[in-house]
Amino acid sequence: MSVVDHNAIELTPRISEADVGDYIALLKPRVMSLVIFTALVGLLIAPVHVHPVLAFTTILCIAVGAGASGALNMWYESDIDALMSRTANRPIPRGRITRPEALAFGVTLAFFSVMTLGILVDWLAGALLAFTIFFYVVVYTMALKRWTAQNIVIGGAAGALPPVVAWAAATGSLSIEPLLLFLIIFFWTPPHFWALALFRSDDYARAGVPMLPVIAGPDATRLQILLYTVVLVVVAVAPWPLGYFDAVYGITSLMLGSGMLVLAVNVYRYRQGSQALRATRKLFAFSIVYLFALFATLALEVVARAIAPSIG
Amino acid sequence: MDDKRKPDGIVLTEAQQKSRRRRSIAIALALGVLVVLFFAVTMVKGPAVLQRPI
Repeated sequence: MSVVDHNAIELTPRISEADVGDYIALLKPRVMSLVIFTALVGLLIAPVHVHPVLAFTTILCIAVGAGASGALNMWYESDIDALMSRTANRPIPRGRITRPEALAFGVTLAFFSVMTLGILVDWLAGALLAFTIFFYVVVYTMALKRWTAQNIVIGGAAGALPPVVAWAAATGSLSIEPLLLFLIIFFWTPPHFWALALFRSDDYARAGVPMLPVIAGPDATRLQILLYTVVLVVVAVAPWPLGYFDAVYGITSLMLGSGMLVLAVNVYRYRQGSQALRATRKLFAFSIVYLFALFATLALEVVARAIAPSIG
Repeated sequence: MDDKRKPDGIVLTEAQQKSRRRRSIAIALALGVLVVLFFAVTMVKGPAVLQRPI
């Protein structure tokens, strides 16, 4: 009898009520906005003139590629998303979109973003975008995230690649400048995500995700945050004395880096109670401002030079 | 003939019909953007659109 009932359920097709908003949520719009911004800076600092239509195409393709990565990430992680309060409201755990629908959506967007960028703009950029999606979905999401506490350190490379893709789209080649942007985002990722993981460690522990605070404990994580912040600040300031970016960037980077360092020291010092929680939340929030302001400085310098060439 | 007979097969609810229509419009818009994008880049690049060194 139970077999018959089971078959009856299987034969009933599921009709989706998913709205456009649910599919937009699959694209991780907040992550996408940071990707668009960093890619835009990569495009702006490239030493060539890029036609606005090609610039728009590049940014659109990178944004859609990032969205595809987000959708494929949610497809693969729907089981652990349902266990964490931060992610339980995503479209798949809420039952708005099924896993096969998310997979089809993600694969379609990934294919079209890579092919469009390759055909219309540049194949090196298209190949780099394909690699970025592959790295985020296969290397980070499938291989690293549930396996090692270094997941976000290595996986951070995927989030650091958009400005490199944009530079490649503009110039058709690679150079030191986009790699410097890559390194800044790469070393920014661990302090940013470990600060989040510190005040969400219960969530990660419940889902069985081996984030550093879950595996090594909060104190070891605080030390790692501090060490990575020191490296980040050095890496972010270095392009100034090395002559790649100018003094306006260098001084801004020094000031913002000092802020990051102070907050990271506070995270290291305060280990108990509300003071510790406040310090962690402050570092997490400021790290977003830090990256945004650093890249905005580079973008504004380019814009200022375009408006008043004598500045440069 | 009974005109009020229920139709065979799956009958979508109003919510399902509305969400399907919105999804269809979104797909149409995305395809439209893709067409406009290819047209615009072809205009910008001119004959160079055929030069795609790998």
